[in-house]
Amino acid sequence: MWRELWTLAVRAACGPRRLCTFQRSRVPALNSGTTIFALSSGQGRCGIAVIRTSGPASGYALGILTAPRDLPPARKASLRLLSDPRSGEPLDRALVLWFPGPQSFTGEDCVEFHVHGGPAVVSGVLQALGSVPGLRPAEAGEFTRRAFAHGKLNLTEVEGLADLIHAETEAQRRQALRQLDGELGHLCRGWAETLTKALAHVEAYIDFGEDDNLEEGVLEQVDSEVRALEVALQTHLGDARRGQRLRSGAHVVVTGPPNAGKSSLVNLLSRKPVSIVSPEPGTTRDVLETPVDLAGFPVLLSDTAGLREGIGPVEQEGVRRAQERLEQADLILAMLDACDLASPSSRNFLDMVVAPTGAQNPSKSSQRLLLVLNKSDLLPSGSPSLIPDLPPYLLLSCLTGEGLDSLLEMLRKELVAVCGDPSTGPPLLTRARHQHHLQGCLNALSHYKESKDLALAAEALRVARGHLTRLTGGGGTEEILDIIFQDFCVGK
Amino acid sequence: SLGQMSCNPSFGGIGKGHLMREVDALDGLCSRICDQSGIHYKVLNRRKGPAVWGLRAQIDRKLYKQNMQKEILNTPLLTVQEGAVEDLILTEPEPAHPGKCRARGVVLADGSAIYAESVILTTGTFLRGMVVIGLEMHPAGRLGDQPSIGLAQTLEKLGFAVGRLKTGTPPRIAKDSINFSILNKQTPDNPSLPFSFLNETVWIKPEDQLPCYLTHTNPRVDEIVLENLHLNSHVKETTRGPRYCPSIESKVLRFPNRIHQVWLEPEGMDSDLIYPQGLSVTLPAELQEKMITCIRGLEKAKMIQPGYGVQYDYLDPRHISPSLETHLVQRLFLAGQINGTTGYEEAAAQGVIAGINASLRVSRKPPFVLSRTEGYIGVLIDDLTTLGTSEPYRMFTSRVEFRLSLRPDNADSRLTFRGYKEAGCVSQQRYERASWMKSSLEEGISVLKSIEFSSSKWKKLIPQAPISTSRSLPVSALDVLKYEEVDMELLAQAVPDPLRKYTQCRELADRLKIEATYESVLVFQLQQIEEVQRDEALQLPHDLDYLSVKDVSLSHEVREKLHLIRPRTIGAASRIPGVTPAAIVNLLRFVKTTQQSRAAVDELPKTDQYLRDTDRLQEREL
Repeated sequence: MWRELWTLAVRAACGPRRLCTFQRSRVPALNSGTTIFALSSGQGRCGIAVIRTSGPASGYALGILTAPRDLPPARKASLRLLSDPRSGEPLDRALVLWFPGPQSFTGEDCVEFHVHGGPAVVSGVLQALGSVPGLRPAEAGEFTRRAFAHGKLNLTEVEGLADLIHAETEAQRRQALRQLDGELGHLCRGWAETLTKALAHVEAYIDFGEDDNLEEGVLEQVDSEVRALEVALQTHLGDARRGQRLRSGAHVVVTGPPNAGKSSLVNLLSRKPVSIVSPEPGTTRDVLETPVDLAGFPVLLSDTAGLREGIGPVEQEGVRRAQERLEQADLILAMLDACDLASPSSRNFLDMVVAPTGAQNPSKSSQRLLLVLNKSDLLPSGSPSLIPDLPPYLLLSCLTGEGLDSLLEMLRKELVAVCGDPSTGPPLLTRARHQHHLQGCLNALSHYKESKDLALAAEALRVARGHLTRLTGGGGTEEILDIIFQDFCVGK
Repeated sequence: SLGQMSCNPSFGGIGKGHLMREVDALDGLCSRICDQSGIHYKVLNRRKGPAVWGLRAQIDRKLYKQNMQKEILNTPLLTVQEGAVEDLILTEPEPAHPGKCRARGVVLADGSAIYAESVILTTGTFLRGMVVIGLEMHPAGRLGDQPSIGLAQTLEKLGFAVGRLKTGTPPRIAKDSINFSILNKQTPDNPSLPFSFLNETVWIKPEDQLPCYLTHTNPRVDEIVLENLHLNSHVKETTRGPRYCPSIESKVLRFPNRIHQVWLEPEGMDSDLIYPQGLSVTLPAELQEKMITCIRGLEKAKMIQPGYGVQYDYLDPRHISPSLETHLVQRLFLAGQINGTTGYEEAAAQGVIAGINASLRVSRKPPFVLSRTEGYIGVLIDDLTTLGTSEPYRMFTSRVEFRLSLRPDNADSRLTFRGYKEAGCVSQQRYERASWMKSSLEEGISVLKSIEFSSSKWKKLIPQAPISTSRSLPVSALDVLKYEEVDMELLAQAVPDPLRKYTQCRELADRLKIEATYESVLVFQLQQIEEVQRDEALQLPHDLDYLSVKDVSLSHEVREKLHLIRPRTIGAASRIPGVTPAAIVNLLRFVKTTQQSRAAVDELPKTDQYLRDTDRLQEREL
């Protein structure tokens, strides 16, 4: 994942490969790198969202979104109507700022769009930008890295860059896990597999076509697979509501040993009976999720099965799902029974879940954790028995509601931290990324069909696969070679 | 044994032909010698696009050896001495270079010493080489040649990680015992395409060249292999062999119940031997003969020499830098199979780079390094030095990211100028030829762009081309040349003035056509190449001690990797598996800090040296 995010930016497909036919005052210089865009303000509830672009096609993109008006004066806020370049549909009336390089944050040509903060507007503008030739969604830390490369940051400023990239890649990793968990992920993986195999077969035909045992018909089979893939992608893109909606909001996962009161907390926070509550350990067996508004932030709250071993297959599956969901969490609410801290299951939970997350440098790990000790009403002395190395905790009684206010206050602080980082909660950007790469893949596949030269056709497949693997991970040359050697007996 | 082709009697192929063109662009010898020694020239992949054409030829072993010896022994200032090398002479290391000692020469088997400022080791399959036939194994680098044991021990003692690889060769068959009349005949290309940019033709006319013949294995061959696995120790060994050039045994084992091709290739113009390509085998000799005679056309074949397997040592190529100098021993360069590669062409590619750098090192000039964006040689060396290899490494076009840019036709414009200016390895004649070609191409392309007509006029001029007349914009001659049906000859008939002159030279006309074919994609590929080169321009200090350096925050695992591989640039570092983007940024910051402090000491205003390099790269015309 690390390597990919870094090298794919330069190796794999970078944006749609269409020539700009739009003749305006500033057609991007084609030899000076790609142009990136991202939502650079935080998630959460906000009045104004800021979307930034950087790169040679920035002015071109601004021109296209604000057509028919000319570029605004440099470094001055101007009010413009933004419209979708494909449909002409108006998106928002927004403040735009045009920073021609090198006098800009990154040193490249930059544009800032200050749009109204609703999800529909932000998502519309991001998707519109994604459809402009030469633009692609930014990779983790890419704006900062470009600023660094152009000498726009001093050394102290750069010190934070590695941490930032670490946090962003972590956040994107979790996000990718979420996306891939579900129907859409399943589809993407299937497509990527088909394409990898198709490419491997074309590559085999190029590198070993003169060899034996490459059956006739390899290319015909690839052609028909590509046609089927095209249809699938078109259908998917044609109906944006089809398939699974990406789950939005910060992911908060409640976890803990059985019978700690996780489901009670979920019901308390969501103010409705989402989960069945019973005194019997192991009542919750699947992941139950509910969208809630916590302190003004959109949150997807998940109740999970209690973590324990030596149980039946159904509950075991529940535990597996709980752990999977934990991986994807932005914020973990770790719950323990305050009266039961010394029990093996509690100790084990503290060691396996709380300690590893808590031990990480908070600035480096963007996954956060709050330790909540429930059932304070049952504590005889009002405070839990002393346990060595117990991390900071909050006392709560789901029964009486005591401690709920301070929990909500802590949650608010944590969510500010989680959602303040624009990369963590970007279902909007994620959707734009998806659409961008799926469309890019589709465009490349049409080039495949047009190409008579096999090297050109293979290049189109490489680009198409590059787009899909950016959504699913993987995508090295070795993977292709492995398939070639598995499927064919080559060697002369 | 100078110029001895120890395995197949052929050069080139898909991917390998690319390497030969690049070796030639740097004035390496093998391509020119092949143009004088081939007996069957054929370009593979002709129908698949010029970016993946594979120049290939059957070579006369005897002629190759003769011509190679003539060339080498007549090279001015070059002394050639033959002898088995037993050991290295080592001395104190030079300061400011990594490495715990420095190579000063070699000791021969007779005890005599040869001193040198740089040493290049190209051990082939000789390092602790073992030849295997059936259950018999004996030490040898090649059938009948002594292996090199002392040298292997020295290298191991110096701390090189040693691995083991295997390869094999087929039996040789008497030509007059084969019934060619019932087999498929393959004739050479007419005209022959030479390997070298300096040659317009090869030494021999197509009609004088020899044919190859094709036959196939059959179920009986499978049976013999399967019945006798217990007599075949080479196949059972765990040593890694190549996945793509497998012995007949591994073909039968991995893909049972199929028939496999066997090419019957001549070993030379007047040789009475035939090389059955595809029949590499290590069965006991009498079983090999039995297997051969159940193949169609070979029913009465006489086996002159049995096939055999070779197992040999190689050193983990992550121990060498992209200039092919080892990290451990200064001025020691490694090339060829010792680095885990297989094939003449892969060896030649490393040979030319090692030779150039061994000489630059002596004259204290910066190393000559090719990147992945410049050539197949760059991809080959970058893969080896950053990823290592666990099987014999062979070049494929699918390993190359920028395949459409790195073509056989344009190797000269990619490499000859760098070779001339930076390495001094290119002859004046070649330099002038490449310069003429480059300016003619540029001129030709701009002329083609400047000729614009309406699509309906083009349709009338060149009815063969399926030009759509619905386009209202004028169409340039370059766009018309992109059609598969159109070549320069056809265009020049339509627009004789000014295009006629670009058809005078066949190579120029062909190259213009190729440039047009890929033009629209290359614009974007160039953009990606520049992004990669930006990272390649960020150099890491070559004497950095990754294990102990304190001012940079790196995990232990990353430190170990960087210490072993010693990437030369940020780009190379980012390709090492396990080196994270965060680590890369920390490295960048460290490099920048050290550069600033060094600059302060030298009182030189070079604070942004590498950034300026980046800008220069961006400006550079490719």
